[in-house]
Amino acid sequence: MPPDANEALPNGPPRQFATTQWSIVLAAGGREKKLAGDALARLCESYWYPLYAYVRQRIPHVHEAQDLTQAFFVYLLDKQTIAHADPNRGRFRAFLLTALKNFLANEWDKARAAKRGGERSPLSLDLYSGESKFQIEPSHDLTPERLYERRWVLTLLDQVLETLRGELIQAGKEDYFESFKGAITQEATAEDYDKAAQALGLSPAATKQAAYRLRKRYRELFRAEVARTLSADENLDLEISRLLECLG
Amino acid sequence: MAPILRCPKCGAEHPDDAPAGLCPKCLLKAGFHSEVDLGAPTMSGSAKADPALPRHKAGSQFDPPPVERLAPLFPHLEILGLIGKGGMGAVYKARQRGLDRMVAIKILPPEIGNDPSFAERFTREARALARLTHNNIVSIYDFGQVNGLFFIVMEYVDGVNLRQTILTGALAPPAALAIIPQLCEALQFAHDEGIVHRDIKPENILLDKKGRVKIADFGLSKILGQEAADLSLTGSHQVMGTPRYMAPEQMQGSRHVDHRADIYSLGVVFYELLTGELPLGKFAPPSRKVHVDVRLDEVVLRTLEQQPEHRYQHASEVKLAVDGIASQPHPNAPIRRPLDSSAPAHLPPRGPATPSGPTRFSRKAIVGAFWSLFFFISFYGMFVVRAVERQEAIQAYPQEGGTVNQEAREVALPPAQDPEAPRWLIALSFIMLALGGSGPIGTTVLGAMAVSNIRHSQGRIYGMPLALADALFFPLIVLDGLIYAFWYLLLSSLYFIEPNRYVPLSLAMTILTALILNSIIVIKAWKAARTPSQVIELPAA
Repeated sequence: MPPDANEALPNGPPRQFATTQWSIVLAAGGREKKLAGDALARLCESYWYPLYAYVRQRIPHVHEAQDLTQAFFVYLLDKQTIAHADPNRGRFRAFLLTALKNFLANEWDKARAAKRGGERSPLSLDLYSGESKFQIEPSHDLTPERLYERRWVLTLLDQVLETLRGELIQAGKEDYFESFKGAITQEATAEDYDKAAQALGLSPAATKQAAYRLRKRYRELFRAEVARTLSADENLDLEISRLLECLG
Repeated sequence: MAPILRCPKCGAEHPDDAPAGLCPKCLLKAGFHSEVDLGAPTMSGSAKADPALPRHKAGSQFDPPPVERLAPLFPHLEILGLIGKGGMGAVYKARQRGLDRMVAIKILPPEIGNDPSFAERFTREARALARLTHNNIVSIYDFGQVNGLFFIVMEYVDGVNLRQTILTGALAPPAALAIIPQLCEALQFAHDEGIVHRDIKPENILLDKKGRVKIADFGLSKILGQEAADLSLTGSHQVMGTPRYMAPEQMQGSRHVDHRADIYSLGVVFYELLTGELPLGKFAPPSRKVHVDVRLDEVVLRTLEQQPEHRYQHASEVKLAVDGIASQPHPNAPIRRPLDSSAPAHLPPRGPATPSGPTRFSRKAIVGAFWSLFFFISFYGMFVVRAVERQEAIQAYPQEGGTVNQEAREVALPPAQDPEAPRWLIALSFIMLALGGSGPIGTTVLGAMAVSNIRHSQGRIYGMPLALADALFFPLIVLDGLIYAFWYLLLSSLYFIEPNRYVPLSLAMTILTALILNSIIVIKAWKAARTPSQVIELPAA
């Protein structure tokens, strides 16, 4: 008796998402500091890698780069840089890079000189795995800014897929992800579906249903994730087009 | 260095460490268009989808099937051509052969059928929509599924949609005020049937050649997957495209979306029709952006209230409000409609230019009237002074006559004071003279200003008759004087008229022509003053 594919995917709310987190940050802008701070912290925890990679390109020394990254986030979440965010820009990733550049230009020297050692970063960043990831990146001949955006997109996609996988694992359907991930991008062929049906013991109709649902769930999560980093009245599809451009 | 892979679908390169081994570009494209599912390909052994049917290109618009493909599927229709396409399908113009009437047929994207529950929802919804027969709602004639294609046959509207009209800038406020009540009627009718549109926007509002408004695509957004059950993420499903017309509770994915969401969308459309802009963030009330009645601000703002409880609760209420305003373009004493108890506790503050308050009589008109009174008093006063002087002259040179002089003496008012008048009296009389002398100009100018004030006050200031009188009185007198002079000169140049008849004749002619001319001028001025600054004309209902 093939398992009912209708129960394949969970429909519960994902753990940590809040759409338009960035708009919370923009709206609070200093007044409700705690709220804005939390929202910003969560955004940073998701998207620190593109920043780190950018820093590593400018600063070849690994240790220094890591210190700088930590210090930057301390600075970002400590000061009211949020208050200076221009709501018209609407894009978190642009804001983050600009803030980093400012930090590099103005603040890093001061911070270094002050030797503020022992500062606990408010975020938990796995900088070591970030470093290994950076090492295995293929070489590019793009400008650092373009690379930053490209990595941003890949990080975003990683986030979404990880969340999706996490949901499936929680529902005990871990293998669904591997079997049906091709359905998301429509790379899967009829043979792939047949294989999946066999591996999971599903009927053809159930397989079709499961694939459909996975794709739909992916899209929901994806759009929510993109929306996290936009302000409330940005056009979502327009932003997706822009992200496509980032990939070149 | 990681090996480079090529995506089998889009051909783009991506490194092996791309997310989950999938092509990033395709992953992004898969994120477009949350209304319509981009379905799974066919499986070997299951029924093959018609290869001639269009595939929904990832991330792009739905490719409408060409007319030739459709024709064999609908033998009872003569498909004439494509008239529009969008994310929700393509619309074709067709002719029903039997009935020989024009219809529109909408073809939904084929991949919609991949959701098994869709067919059932579609049938349910279509049956509900079929109950909506109303002049201002596009009627549904038929629906179904053929060869995997879902279709809807509906009323054909020969015209344009509101978006096109807005873009061409063809709408003045009066037209907006003609459209909104029709929309309200349609919405109220649908709401009474328990149907909410959920997607009111200019693209869905059609205007036929007779200026009739028709709402299209009722309930379609519900069929195509925006039901509450699908909203597992707060609002993400709804944050698609440009949801500027969506009510806040819809945007947040609340499960308590009801007909009042339509009222909000109506408000957005209303605002856009009046001002050409969307009400975003902190927006200005319509009367501060364009020349419209201030009372409309209240109506528009109330439809745009964030909380549904604070909005108008029924579309018919909106219609009542708008009709009430339009039927009284510029009342002399406007009826201030009291806000009912369900009115919002707060309204955005009005601009300083239009204080709402009780009506008053034009002050300028009053002052102008008094000024002319001054003029007459001083005129009379001068007259009197002259008479007195004459009397004194008579006294100084005694005449032979008898009774006449005596009468004159009696009649003349003897000045009570010393012939050498005190300084203050001289000063006073100068002031009086100046004031009085300037009476004609002052009165006329004040009268003209008062007329303008009253016209632009939209009923708050009244007293047009007095203001007009002020403005016209002295100019007319001057005109009459000129007429008299004209006649006198004319008549005196005519040889066949005796000199001692000049004056009476001139007077007679003057009176005649002056009467006619003055009347014409007064009537014209009155009419001109009465037309409101903006004309609100409703077409015949």
